[in-house]
Amino acid sequence: MRLEILPERCTGCQLCGAVCSARLVGNFNPSRAALYIESLLPDQLVVRPYVCIHCEEHPCVDACPVEAIVEDEELGIYVVDKEACNGCGTCVDACPYNGLRLDPFEMYAIKCDVCRGKARCVEICPTGTLEVTE
Amino acid sequence: MQGGYVGKILRVDLSREKTSSEDLNTQWARMFIGGKGLGAKYLFEELKPNTDPLSPENVMIIMTGPLTGTTAPCASRYAVLTKSPLTGAFLDCYVGGYLGAELKFAGFDAAIITGKAEKPTYLWIADGKAEFKDAKDLSGLDIHETEKRIKEDLEDKEVKVAAIGPAGENLAKMACITVDLYRHAGRGGAGAVMGSKNLKAVAVRGHQSISVPKIEDFIALSQEITKDDVLTPDNEWAKIDGTPGFLRMVQEAGILPTRNFQMGVFEHVNKIDEVAIKKILVRRRACYGCPLGCGNLTQVKEGPFAGTIVEGPEYETLAMAGANCYISDLAAIAKYNLLCDQLGLDTISTGDAIAFAMECYERGIITEKDTNGLELTFGNVEAYIEMPKLIAYRESIGDILAEGVSRAAEKIGKGSGHFTVHAKRLEYPGYDPRGSIGMALAYAVSDRGACHLRAWPANSEAFGDLDPFTTEGKAQLVIDDQNLYSVKWSLVVCDFYAIGYPNIARLCSAATGWNLKEEDVKIIGERVWNQTRQFNVREGISRENDTLPERISKDPLKGGRAEGHVVARADFDKMLGEYYQLRGWDEEGRPRKEKLKALELVA
Repeated sequence: MRLEILPERCTGCQLCGAVCSARLVGNFNPSRAALYIESLLPDQLVVRPYVCIHCEEHPCVDACPVEAIVEDEELGIYVVDKEACNGCGTCVDACPYNGLRLDPFEMYAIKCDVCRGKARCVEICPTGTLEVTE
Repeated sequence: MQGGYVGKILRVDLSREKTSSEDLNTQWARMFIGGKGLGAKYLFEELKPNTDPLSPENVMIIMTGPLTGTTAPCASRYAVLTKSPLTGAFLDCYVGGYLGAELKFAGFDAAIITGKAEKPTYLWIADGKAEFKDAKDLSGLDIHETEKRIKEDLEDKEVKVAAIGPAGENLAKMACITVDLYRHAGRGGAGAVMGSKNLKAVAVRGHQSISVPKIEDFIALSQEITKDDVLTPDNEWAKIDGTPGFLRMVQEAGILPTRNFQMGVFEHVNKIDEVAIKKILVRRRACYGCPLGCGNLTQVKEGPFAGTIVEGPEYETLAMAGANCYISDLAAIAKYNLLCDQLGLDTISTGDAIAFAMECYERGIITEKDTNGLELTFGNVEAYIEMPKLIAYRESIGDILAEGVSRAAEKIGKGSGHFTVHAKRLEYPGYDPRGSIGMALAYAVSDRGACHLRAWPANSEAFGDLDPFTTEGKAQLVIDDQNLYSVKWSLVVCDFYAIGYPNIARLCSAATGWNLKEEDVKIIGERVWNQTRQFNVREGISRENDTLPERISKDPLKGGRAEGHVVARADFDKMLGEYYQLRGWDEEGRPRKEKLKALELVA
């Protein structure tokens, strides 16, 4: 399972971050979501989300010094084991897709797990910017 | 605290360099919700009557609502409220973008700002705290540069910024506050209020949470309403064309202000309409939590204005700064739009002021000596494009126009007052009442001066089934709109989602945990409208300020469906009298005691 981003469709509405945080922390708080929107306006015409796309090469897994990014065999993707993660941020730096970030309050990296099957960001996105592919 | 709200208000005293946090008044929240209503209540209680709007004593409020920052569709706007330096009356502006949601993530439902900083300052609000930052190096900078510098200074690209430009610093009475580059507290001179306080910008960043009682149910309700009530033919024009799509229907109705309200149709309309916009459209933009995404991010690729990137132009800019100035060069209007965004000017009032000056010039009332050598005729792009700068920097004729058309005409004289088109000194927006008579009443009795977002009878008259030239039923139509919009702006839902009372009640209840019914929110709407009228009455506003411009009552409209029509003084007076009566106000337009009691506005 992978997430595909079609950045040119993004309007920057942040509904993805709102529903993601609702699932991860139980309230609305995009700063604790697994994805975020970057805007480079007005200098560049770039508005786009960043999220783990579940790439095949997964440099985050290799970079993690405490082996906290583990394979979920049921889903066939790598997820962060929050207990094992020490929030060092090595994975964040290692990811070429800006797909991970650190929780602002607790010591762990936030990585998308595709909502364990039914990605809520994909469901709520009004423009089809995000897609799940097999 | 109830859900939806974060429960705290930030107080900022610029004179004493002090900030503090206090609990949101929950009793008032229950009566007024947020946004317009709750902001109006705080303003009424805290602003001393007859305060000079540009004095340190004026109060400026940034007020969100219980839905701001949630998944509720089209509902993350917020209100900016103050006493207007242009009208001397109540002022409420609604802004999209992201700063409202960010303010709640920073831990505050509202910020109430008073006083005047000793030196140029910007306010930095982050995670439950606020501090004053030196803005000496930002003075005089345009708004886009200001936002960039603040983000660099704070080393965080995700900071949200509301700033003023040179227009606000120079106290132009049509200065706006620009937020997130392209969104504005546009009308009535809120930017000048910030300028008078030496407050260059407000920067916000937050990592806190917004809670609602049952978040899964809340998201499900948001999605259900999005599907059944937002992404429907009533609203989808916003997604497909955005506001430029209005040009065509306003032109068909013959109420498109053209050549400073001399005409109701613009022969070159097809050069600036939604089809023309599509040719320079780059991508769509949305505010926080909006599935419609009405914003047109455009880029001019050739000609003298190549390189212009702007979110817009919107209908009102195309009407007031396009047709009304007889400008048919879309690239020039886009450039004008960008200049206004950067300098911090309301594109509506500025467009009207330029159109007014063009008529003065063509009639020989002003000459090149007054205009810095510009040949300020209708349709002259070279002169037109210089005008925002002259107004923002208050140079030559710009210094006079920066006061608004009403005061400008008082200064210029020579009969120019006859063609100033405003109510309570706020310039008219883009729907000429001569082909939609209810709009004359809507503008006249609007709390902040001539505004199409307090009541929009044009929808039923010019674009609907009602006779656009007769007065029957129009007072009630205006009242119904005002009450609905008042509670809508209190929640704060965007204009472009045509929400009704039932879904207002459902969304507000789901966020707060209150069990509001349709009838409850209806009463809140009426209460809020009477509250703002009470504010204005206290400022000395009465029937004599609920006015009809001479141009609209005396000069027959030229061209189009409303050719030859005026709004007769007698018809206007009839509607106004009926309006006061139906409102439960006296003949001078003051809410009667029984009405205020019934709405729990007085004990």
